[in-house]
Amino acid sequence: MKFLKIFRYEFAYQVRRLSTWLYLAILLIFTIGMNFLITPGDGVYANNTFHIIGITVIGGVIWLLMGAVIAGEAAAREVQTRMHPLTYTSSVNKFEYLGGRFLAAFAVNALLVLSLPLGILVSFYLPDSAEAAMLPFRLTPYLNVYFLIALPNAFIATALQFTFATFSRQVMTAYLASLLLAIFPQVIGLTAAKLFGNWDLVKLLDPVGVAGIMGSELATWTPTEKNTRLVTLEGMFLWNRILWVCVAAGLLWLTYARFSFTVPSTTTWWTRSKRRKLPAEPVAETGVVRTTVVTVPQVPRSFGFATGFQQALTIGWATFRKIARNPVGLTLVGAIALCSAIFGYKIMTQFEIPLFPTTPQVSDYLTTNVGDIGSPWVVIPLLIMYFVGEILWSERDAGLGDIADATPVPEWALVIGKFLGLGLIIVAWMLLLMAGGIGMQLGLGYTKLEPGLYLKALVGIQLLDYLLFALLALMVHIVVNQKFIGYLVMFLVFLFLAFPSTFQVEHRLLIFGSDPGWSYTDMRGFGNTLGPWLWFKLYWLAWALLLAVIARLFWGRGRAQGLKDRLQLAKRRFTPATTWVAVIGLGLILVLGGFIFYNTNVLNEYQSGNDFQEQQAAYERLYGKYRNTLQPHLIRTKLNVEIYPDKEEVGIHAAYTLVNKDTVALDSIHLGGIAGVEPTEVKFNRAATVLLSDKKLNHQVYLLKQPLRPGDSLELNFVVHYKNRGFRHNGSDALVVKNGTYFTNYDLMPSIGYQPFREIKDAVVRKKFGLAARLEIASLYDAQARSKPGSTDQASLEAIIGTATNEVAVAPGVMQRSWTTGDRRYFHYKTDASIGGEYSILSANYAVQESKWQDVDIRIYHHPGHTKNIDRMLRSVKASLEYYTEKFGPYPYSHFTLAEQAGSGGGASADGSMIYYGEQYAQLNPDDGPEGFEMPYYILAHEVAHQWWGLARLTPANVQGAGVLIEGLAVYSGMQVLEKTYGEKHLQQYVNFLHSFYEMPRSLATPSLLQADEPFLYYRKGGLALYTLGKYIGKEKVNGALRSLLQQRDSGVIPLPTMLDLYKEIQKVTPDTLGYLLRDLFETNTYWRLKTKQFTSTKIKADQWQVTLKVHAQKVVVDSTGAEHEIPMNDWLEVGIYKGENELSQQPLHLQKHRLRSGDQVIQVTVPRKPTRAGIDPNFLMIDLRRDDNMIQLDEE
Amino acid sequence: MTLQIKNISKVYSNGVQALRDVTLSIPNGMYGLLGPNGAGKSTLMRTLATLQEPDSGSIFLDGIDVLKQKDEVRQTLGYLPQEFGLYPKAKAEDLLDYFAVLKGITNRASRKEVVEALLKQTNLWEKRRQKLGGFSGGMKQRFGVAVALLGNPKLMIVDEPTAGLDPAERVRFLNLLSEVGENSVVILSTHIVEDVSELCTRMAIINKGQILQEAEPLQAVAALKGKIWRRIIEKRMLPDFEREHKIISTKLLGGRTVIHIYSEADPGSGYEAVAPDLEDAYFTTMAGYHQNHQPQKEGEVQP
Repeated sequence: MKFLKIFRYEFAYQVRRLSTWLYLAILLIFTIGMNFLITPGDGVYANNTFHIIGITVIGGVIWLLMGAVIAGEAAAREVQTRMHPLTYTSSVNKFEYLGGRFLAAFAVNALLVLSLPLGILVSFYLPDSAEAAMLPFRLTPYLNVYFLIALPNAFIATALQFTFATFSRQVMTAYLASLLLAIFPQVIGLTAAKLFGNWDLVKLLDPVGVAGIMGSELATWTPTEKNTRLVTLEGMFLWNRILWVCVAAGLLWLTYARFSFTVPSTTTWWTRSKRRKLPAEPVAETGVVRTTVVTVPQVPRSFGFATGFQQALTIGWATFRKIARNPVGLTLVGAIALCSAIFGYKIMTQFEIPLFPTTPQVSDYLTTNVGDIGSPWVVIPLLIMYFVGEILWSERDAGLGDIADATPVPEWALVIGKFLGLGLIIVAWMLLLMAGGIGMQLGLGYTKLEPGLYLKALVGIQLLDYLLFALLALMVHIVVNQKFIGYLVMFLVFLFLAFPSTFQVEHRLLIFGSDPGWSYTDMRGFGNTLGPWLWFKLYWLAWALLLAVIARLFWGRGRAQGLKDRLQLAKRRFTPATTWVAVIGLGLILVLGGFIFYNTNVLNEYQSGNDFQEQQAAYERLYGKYRNTLQPHLIRTKLNVEIYPDKEEVGIHAAYTLVNKDTVALDSIHLGGIAGVEPTEVKFNRAATVLLSDKKLNHQVYLLKQPLRPGDSLELNFVVHYKNRGFRHNGSDALVVKNGTYFTNYDLMPSIGYQPFREIKDAVVRKKFGLAARLEIASLYDAQARSKPGSTDQASLEAIIGTATNEVAVAPGVMQRSWTTGDRRYFHYKTDASIGGEYSILSANYAVQESKWQDVDIRIYHHPGHTKNIDRMLRSVKASLEYYTEKFGPYPYSHFTLAEQAGSGGGASADGSMIYYGEQYAQLNPDDGPEGFEMPYYILAHEVAHQWWGLARLTPANVQGAGVLIEGLAVYSGMQVLEKTYGEKHLQQYVNFLHSFYEMPRSLATPSLLQADEPFLYYRKGGLALYTLGKYIGKEKVNGALRSLLQQRDSGVIPLPTMLDLYKEIQKVTPDTLGYLLRDLFETNTYWRLKTKQFTSTKIKADQWQVTLKVHAQKVVVDSTGAEHEIPMNDWLEVGIYKGENELSQQPLHLQKHRLRSGDQVIQVTVPRKPTRAGIDPNFLMIDLRRDDNMIQLDEE
Repeated sequence: MTLQIKNISKVYSNGVQALRDVTLSIPNGMYGLLGPNGAGKSTLMRTLATLQEPDSGSIFLDGIDVLKQKDEVRQTLGYLPQEFGLYPKAKAEDLLDYFAVLKGITNRASRKEVVEALLKQTNLWEKRRQKLGGFSGGMKQRFGVAVALLGNPKLMIVDEPTAGLDPAERVRFLNLLSEVGENSVVILSTHIVEDVSELCTRMAIINKGQILQEAEPLQAVAALKGKIWRRIIEKRMLPDFEREHKIISTKLLGGRTVIHIYSEADPGSGYEAVAPDLEDAYFTTMAGYHQNHQPQKEGEVQP
């Protein structure tokens, strides 16, 4: 009875509160708003279950903040309002009291989260959204998300919040619970996934579902699945629900057990749990009343600016101490910094290979955008948001508000003082991060510390970002002047900062605190990124000044007052000094904002995402009709390039030799490139007129007076001039900079003909702009696409490049000559064969390492400090040239150039006769021990392979599967070089690396390899399929097929090769008995499920052991909708029986292919010695998502 | 130094009229503001302490416009609110030092001197390194006084300060206040009549937002001389007496009821004249029999 009464009272109390209804409204607005902001993908209906689940999960995160107030109030309101002595002394018992209040909070929260599916449902049927295609109404999805996601989440969160608030006796601590729920499991889970490759842990640990449901489960769904699929209560999700409901129940039990109806002492739950001795009872005072004479000494007081300043310092210091003493004040950031130091060996990696933890690398890890919610540092903005509310309300929460407000402290000193305290704590956090970073470096044995760079990156750059954010939070709280609503508003502001484009805001002048980004690398230093960054920050500091004025004007002093009173107060506080500060702030905003706008929008072209798509669409609409217009081919490029690194300027005089390779005369020449750098002084060596010159889209059409006859050629001369003027909106456009110039021909040089790659690919966007629907990549069976030249220019390059005297310019080709004229240094390069259609030009203060393989000159241009991998690179290049020449045919050039490309890239890329590698590649530091892996060696072998596959040699038609012909073959080739140099076990590590991509959350419904359309298939499945094939038919046969393909299809011959040609060659060398395997690997999207269930061995003779394996095999094809179709098996599969403890030390006793059918079966083999491990497909030749059950250890009987 | 309050009115957003056209003139010395709970005392005190905006009216402290020149007022203000908390984890000395800075005592040495003096004055010197969370009600109150006294305020506003004090503490506290009152304006709001009668040179009685009477306590008492009569009656007889006489107070004494009535003439047999005290003056005013201001129709009888 009492239980019911308590429940009813608390429930009614919460429901009658205005804020509860406000929360409801916010959740409803969120769900409905998101429906308008989000456009479903191609083939997805408006009311798809993916949307319903996603919005429920995200809405649940927003609810976490609201739920904190509700649960916290239910748990701690009585203590906080000091009403508890009345209730505690009544006859109610613990169970009734806690139970009633908890249930009431849970009921309110359950109703609040009900608004999520309800709001989503309503949003689908609002009049405005009726036009979108809809699936028929089904109730199940809404019930499903409510009862499996929203309601359990509400229970878990309410329990945690209630527990926290009960023990701390403060409503606010419930927020902490929300914070922990939202952050910790995700961070831990994601860390586990990224560091240890265990993705199931995320699903298990994430109670909220952002990473566990959306990040892993939903991310794999196909459009068909998105429409109707639901999260089902099975597997890890089931365990997740069980785990968290148990945690919640346990917490509730703990609350019940530990709670007692006693008046809280002055200690907190923290000190209470330490069972500290209470301070001695105050000694009773004497009852004798002495008349004392009050003699307070007269001391000087002052009230000027200096006093205010000192008061601000005092308040700042007190604020800092208060936060620092908070249980999460320093510990949370400290813990993450510590973990970073401990797990440095896992964090400082690229492609799972250790990196040298240089200070630029580590500080890059330690810094992030304020709005980046995917990094662990998101705790910092969240902590800032939490502490802003705490410190702003600390006096009022402690009941000291009136006394403090009546003291003669100017408002500005209060604002600045509180902000100062917050700033100090952020500085402390930054120093903790720095300590973590240095700890990471020392832990990895790296001792070349650069504290100066840390200070610049963390205390200089990152601190300012956080301070701006803190000031914004402070201002929001001051203006809102209602603690919990303040938190909510600030959280919504944070969401805006994290996802501005979702709210259709893109220009950085409109996103508080944003900047075009900065970077630091060994080569470029800060490059030209610091200036724009600083301008933006100055602009935001001007805003900060204005915000500070607003904060001063609206500073809530005295009793909570109505809007009218506050406005009146603000008017009175608008003193001349304030006015001046406001005017200066406004003036600075206008001047700095104007300057930035001038740079981003006037000096440079500003394009929103939509503008850019608009431009792409316009290009296709206007010039798409020339898609199939025959054009002459570029066969020779001659360049005179003048690079001015200091001035960030480059001028190019170019001569193109074009030849008509077709059978009809050509009279028009199309010339175009990326918008913004159009060629000038265009001249032909024969009469021609300009037919069209579109400067905006950079497309020009020239009409030749005399058509170009088949076989004839002409010369085209033009000038390109590029100068970095001011800075750009998205700062990433540093083509020419000191000690780090790098640009490709596509960046600056025009191409011949219509450029299909400038079209919009995404189907939904195409529809939006009214463009004809088409596949993102043309179909494998599209005959027309096969005969289309596309980008198949095969040109030689000759370039004379001038640069500053302290730099070396690099381009493909043999260096003919190098000389110095005045303060310019010139380099003359010339290729001795065609290098395909793309090339890059670099200039930096390079050191050169020269070497030779047979007649090929190898030169490596590298940053003088980056020498660790040079030797390894040379070895890899030489071994690769040797192997590929032998297997696939000769290397066509007399030179091979490698150049380090300024920037943070970790990979490498190739052009004809040239390889570029990023600075991070230079810092790869593979473990040389037996467990280590030579990824850098492999990467170069892969890139060298592109001299045969892609570029100037095998140039496939731009249709499905083309990526396999370029990347898949390069992966397979690189693997062979790796095996040749380092052996089979080393290769197996790379195979495991390829398999590991299958373990990340991804949709199983991919196209077949023949029709591959994504990098995952090109690189991972392509590599695996060819490797498996090699294991079945022998790698020499596979190499022979590849060689044959290359010989028949040399570069640029039409029709261009496709996967079908490769498949034909492979079929020729594959016996008919393995036809099924080719189908499984190339034609269909097949997965195997192989499992060894039992493994026994009995000794028959002295050297004979009878091995019995019970295995299960299954093969399924997953179609494009995600549906699985089992197909009967009668496949050859490896059966392996080994002696030895683990994979590294094991010796095979038996490794042969056996025929296996679908289902359970028994395999019997006799081996000469006692085996320890056995199973099917021990080398993971098949694509099996569970590889860990292929093999088992012997179970003794 | 004089505090001039003119025509101050305040209506809260829930419709309660907290102050109704309050006009007072308060000179140096102790000034008592006497009234029942909810009379509007705290609203008036907070308004004087710059923490609240009245709807209309003006307040001047000598030349300072209290409503507009809040900063100037705060520089001479000492305020002890009716209810306040302290940071439980802070130490007395540290928090007082902190407030000393807020009050403008920026010199470290003089701050040390003041803090020490005040802690000694308020008998907290021994407890200066103790956490405030462990303080008793009286210690807390004294700490509040110490904060209020920082910077030798010329205007001291203490809102029901004696509520939680034991008798000894109360006396010490009131002594402290009257010392301060020697050269400052000290406004003391209370619902305890003795606080006023023992200390204040002037006082005002407030109820339902209105000033009912403003007088010197001694004069107020003197004015009632010969008009207050006492009788001991049976409890059940009370309604009859209420009809016949202007009862201003009733008290239970050993199972019987003692009534005080207001009558300018001798009410007759059974009544004895009593020497009026301030309590009688208060109840007379509250009951509406005092003609200084507009009478209160529904005057409540305070037990």
